[in-house]
Amino acid sequence: MLDSNHIEGQASSIPAAAGIGLRFPHHQCVLQGRTGVPWFEVHAENYFGGGSVRRTLEAVRRNYPLSLHGVGLSLGSADGLDPAHLGRLAELVQLIEPGLVSEHLSWSVSGGQYFADLLPLPMTEEALDVVCRHVQQTQELLKRPILLENPSTYLQFAHSTIPEAQFLSAVAQRTGCGILCDLNNIFVSACNHGWDPLSYLDALPASAIGEFHLAGHAVCTLDDARVVRIDNHGSPVSAPVWALYEQALQRFGARPTLIEWDTDIPAFEVLLEQAAQATDRLHASRRAHACAA
Amino acid sequence: MPALRDLQSAFGRALLQDGRTQSVPRELALDGLTVGIYRNTCFSTLTSALGLSFPAVRRLVGAEFFDHAAREFMLTHAPASAYLNDYGREFPAFLAQFAAAGGLSYLADVAQLEWAVNRALHAADTAPLDLAALAAVDAAQTAHLSFVPHPSVSVLHLAAPADAIWRAVLDQDQAAMAALEPAAGPVWLLIERNAQGIQVRRMAPAAWALTQRLCAGEPLQAPLDESRSGALSEQELNALLADHLASGRFTSWRIPIGDLPS
Repeated sequence: MLDSNHIEGQASSIPAAAGIGLRFPHHQCVLQGRTGVPWFEVHAENYFGGGSVRRTLEAVRRNYPLSLHGVGLSLGSADGLDPAHLGRLAELVQLIEPGLVSEHLSWSVSGGQYFADLLPLPMTEEALDVVCRHVQQTQELLKRPILLENPSTYLQFAHSTIPEAQFLSAVAQRTGCGILCDLNNIFVSACNHGWDPLSYLDALPASAIGEFHLAGHAVCTLDDARVVRIDNHGSPVSAPVWALYEQALQRFGARPTLIEWDTDIPAFEVLLEQAAQATDRLHASRRAHACAA
Repeated sequence: MPALRDLQSAFGRALLQDGRTQSVPRELALDGLTVGIYRNTCFSTLTSALGLSFPAVRRLVGAEFFDHAAREFMLTHAPASAYLNDYGREFPAFLAQFAAAGGLSYLADVAQLEWAVNRALHAADTAPLDLAALAAVDAAQTAHLSFVPHPSVSVLHLAAPADAIWRAVLDQDQAAMAALEPAAGPVWLLIERNAQGIQVRRMAPAAWALTQRLCAGEPLQAPLDESRSGALSEQELNALLADHLASGRFTSWRIPIGDLPS
């Protein structure tokens, strides 16, 4: 057991290579041997407790750089941040010294109740102020910038006045945070709301992009026959999302890229194959940028 | 234009209405596909979290019944934070009064045990108390000592032999399940996490009673005196205290300020 405040081991910085979201079914596989995966990302809330789960994370950290991805800080809550949650996050950041820390442009807490999803924000000046305040509060406590991820959304609010990409860019500009550009989420939201995904990319500042996320989504038909895409992280990355990733690489250059898979989690080899596909595109992007230079 | 706080409050109410309202309040949504997508994710995430914390209960009642019970529970017990290992503390009490589970008298007891196991699994890593510092306490003060239990420790007195049921169900041990007698009488349990993992063990009633009072933070004197005059010999008492201390079941001790030497 480690009593010190941090773990000796690999350098913490996350390379601009294809990492994998580490989930419980793959813990043993990752602990047992060299996977060749350059880095892993974990959900922060899964490691807030002690015991064997925390020991496992420490063991993984000794061999790999880690990115810490929060899903429950609720940066968009009008009620303010939960100090206990923020404190647990800070303690974990201090322990594992992650190369990246990220959260979502969303909210999950209202009136002291946690709704276990990344809920949509109205894109208003009020929400922008709230998110900026909470990003700043988080960064001040963690003493580091965080990345803010664009969500998948299934509804928009009538009183929204700011396009989402501009909203995200404004948070980055005002707070100094980076942007976690989730290409599956852009595609899902663009299909659901009739946005143009390339215009979305064009509206993001290249210098703020700190990471890409790639995942699969589901296509569902609602009772009233409308078709909706749902970000369920339960299948391979779709062809249009790979294409959008190539567009993002062209615009922003190579960045750390994560394969996420959270439902119907497949064998680890399937994730390795998805990561290999991302790696091919990262290499192609580097070659293209070298030629252009 | 609704204020953000009002919008989130209304959205939260719509999520918890469990399908009785199909969309967010009309004045909030422009082209909402439906709030039901969010509701489904929310409920399925919480059902999974409860299923991870109460795996034996889930097997005992079956996935369909469990999901139904979990959904009913969520409507009145939304979690307070995203730390979902901490979600479900009230689930055993909910099951005890859940009419649909009335036929399984031991279900709530198994749930209580599973909550204690869950707590032991995820409790913060906390160092045991400093035995050398404890040994240095003035002998006159020891009667006033009280202990703070390790966060992984629980003591449970259950009407049904929930530990035997829990093991048999999780091990899918058909022979053990066939031999179970849910009416076999109460058990007195100590649940904790140690270096070997999660421990669930039975205690004798007198030893359990003393342990329970110490874990509740009672000053040492009264429980010790009552144990001495009751079922525990001096030797048993000393062995029990030594075992608790050596096993790291307490993380610190206190003496009320008024009892400290001036």
